Amino acid sequence: MLLSLPALHLQTSEHHPLFQLPHGRLGPWCSPTGSPAPLSCETGCGEGTWILVCRLLVPTQVSLLSMEEDIDTRKINNSFLRDHSYATEADIISTVEFNHTGELLATGDKGGRVVIFQREQESKNQVHRRGEYNVYSTFQSHEPEFDYLKSLEIEEKINKIRWLPQQNAAYFLLSTNDKTVKLWKVSERDKRPEGYNLKDEEGRLRDPATITTLRVPVLRPMDLMVEATPRRVFANAHTYHINSISVNSDYETYMSADDLRINLWNFEITNQSFNIVDIKPANMEELTEVITAAEFHPHHCNTFVYSSSKGTIRLCDMRASALCDRHTKFFEEPEDPSNRSFFSEIISSISDVKFSHSGRCIMTRDYLTVKVWDLNMENRPVETYQVHDYLRSKLCSLYENDCIFDKFECVWNGSDSVIMTGSYNNFFRMFDRNTKRDVTLEASRENSKPRAILKPRKVCVGGKRRKDEISVDSLDFSKKILHTAWHPSENIIAVAATNNLYIFQDKVN
Amino acid sequence: MEFKLEAHRIVSISLGKIYNSRVQRGGIKLHKNLLVSLVLRSARQVYLSDPCPGLYLAGHPGAPAPPQQPEESAAGPPAGWGEPPPPAGRAAWPEPEPQPERPAVPEVLRAGDSEPAATVTAAGDTLQGGEAEAPEAAWRRVEGPRETAVGGAGVSGVFPEGPEAARGPCGCPPGDEDKLSAPPASPPVCARKRGAGWVGGGPADCPAPGSTPLKKPRRNSEEQPGGEEEEEEEMETGNVANLISIFGSSFSGLLRKSPGGGREEAEGEESGPEAAEPGQICCDKPVLRDINPWSTAIVAF
Repeated sequence: MLLSLPALHLQTSEHHPLFQLPHGRLGPWCSPTGSPAPLSCETGCGEGTWILVCRLLVPTQVSLLSMEEDIDTRKINNSFLRDHSYATEADIISTVEFNHTGELLATGDKGGRVVIFQREQESKNQVHRRGEYNVYSTFQSHEPEFDYLKSLEIEEKINKIRWLPQQNAAYFLLSTNDKTVKLWKVSERDKRPEGYNLKDEEGRLRDPATITTLRVPVLRPMDLMVEATPRRVFANAHTYHINSISVNSDYETYMSADDLRINLWNFEITNQSFNIVDIKPANMEELTEVITAAEFHPHHCNTFVYSSSKGTIRLCDMRASALCDRHTKFFEEPEDPSNRSFFSEIISSISDVKFSHSGRCIMTRDYLTVKVWDLNMENRPVETYQVHDYLRSKLCSLYENDCIFDKFECVWNGSDSVIMTGSYNNFFRMFDRNTKRDVTLEASRENSKPRAILKPRKVCVGGKRRKDEISVDSLDFSKKILHTAWHPSENIIAVAATNNLYIFQDKVN
Repeated sequence: MEFKLEAHRIVSISLGKIYNSRVQRGGIKLHKNLLVSLVLRSARQVYLSDPCPGLYLAGHPGAPAPPQQPEESAAGPPAGWGEPPPPAGRAAWPEPEPQPERPAVPEVLRAGDSEPAATVTAAGDTLQGGEAEAPEAAWRRVEGPRETAVGGAGVSGVFPEGPEAARGPCGCPPGDEDKLSAPPASPPVCARKRGAGWVGGGPADCPAPGSTPLKKPRRNSEEQPGGEEEEEEEMETGNVANLISIFGSSFSGLLRKSPGGGREEAEGEESGPEAAEPGQICCDKPVLRDINPWSTAIVAF
């Protein structure tokens, strides 16, 4: 770990194509007739209705074999009728991420596998199939390891996946577990060479005496094969558990953050990284906070933010110094003393931080709320949304069953007008920042018919429970939605519920 | 009163979590343990500061209270961290050997006092404090109804002093706790009640991962008074050994993340914290820093 080198010289973002969403222009909405509906960014979640596109299971060995065949994803899901209520731990999805075009959707699970889904291409024959995602590639990204020196087992669970923007025919993504980041190349192969001189058709070496002619091998088409190869392994740089990775807008560097340190890497160099944030105290007994999430600014390659377990966010500028221990901006909201309890510190710990696509705001998620901060105002958030405030009186039980430590993520939609986050009982919530309306939806197997329309749900906090409401005490805390993703330009969302991946789409009638 | 019970319960749960984190796959999670230690500290603060009448002694009627830790009294209120080790320590050390305990315990106290109470180090003391506290708390809690019978002042102070009284004047911990040594008649009674209290005391279960067979009933029956008979015998006869093994194995177990956490590691304990490998994250945890003087004392003993 190089601590004293000057900051890496980063090319400014002008030299690189900016990935910038055309602000306010969403992709065409999907309507039954196939013709694009009139665009409207304001109909974020209020007027639109959400329908289930498909429900996907992380494929196990069974479906891996059948991946090459042309099988409808739904058939796969229905064919091996495991008891879905019993999910093996390895199948639990631990991260979900769309790529920059939204064509691919990657999931990582606790078993160290990465599964990539690809969007079905629109075809005139099967208009209704557009928007479905099918398995594109599956590979084992990380294996369980054992650190002999420290007698520690290193979990293979994939903590985060981040896509690199596409620069050639292949796709690149970063996946990380607690200790090691890997760069994977996912490429298609649809041709293979035939007609070798020295090898026969099965690949065995031919007896040179039998070779009498010379020919040039030719490329012949073959069935499409998607292969994933690890191109870089960035290891041994983190003492504590990695919680975030973030690709810089210069597309040459990325950062990885653990509980106490953040390292800056160059994609080409795997044997060294720069430490840019270090909050480890000299005396560990004085430890009061840890880093919980970190992200680069979407456009400014010198700027990043990191959140802490104390509910604060720090924005740092790498041009200021090599070691960014001194923040440029410090975002903190004063605590409300009336809400003080034993668990105030736990519920103020930020579990996720995300820049808006515009780069003007950040969104943070703590246990009970989602907050939107303007980068120019450090003393309080501009918006606060209560996700499940009815849990505030149940914090002690949630502490006992460890639910209070759940790390929920939050996402922006493509136009930064709607934010989404998960909750318990397989509920997830969307908040429209413009209309101030919100909706609670459920990712459940009961509504699993394709194109089924999601009905808004409501939690009853007290008093008389109406027919469709669910009371707080009936919530299933083992069914939690921690990971969600929103398509970068369209209203398609991916919601991970334990071992199921639900894909919903907004449909305008 | 409810706050005390609630706080006590939270302390028990927190200690259980810290203990269980040892055997979690993937190593100890720094973030979660930091949060748990913060909760532990808050709960403990509430527990100590809740002015519940009858549970704290206002005065020291007839208590031989040698001021063993004068600095302790001085620093008593803010830290509050210091007292727990003394009662447990004194309970742990049998009367004939006061010497080892004196250097050991003051070490701990000085270490505890020197740290600002606001830091997470407090949680470090909390761990020991919690473990010592909770059994005492359990004792007091169980003994609550007896207050009227025995008569206000002397009762609650009796229990923490029980083991000490049984062993003679080990001395009573100074500080705002104001615990008293018990009238000699009480100890047998105390022991029985304490037995029940032990069972009810969650934290007592935490530190002893099956290090001796005695621990198992306690650990498994956290809330039920199942092993009471057994417990009181243990309390009366093997109490010293139990407490030593609790603290010895618990700390060594927490320092080393091997499930065995047995006696054989006691010797290696001093090097454990010093190793302070980042990988052994629990070594870095503030809650465990002050264990070292304890382990030294235990090993010496």
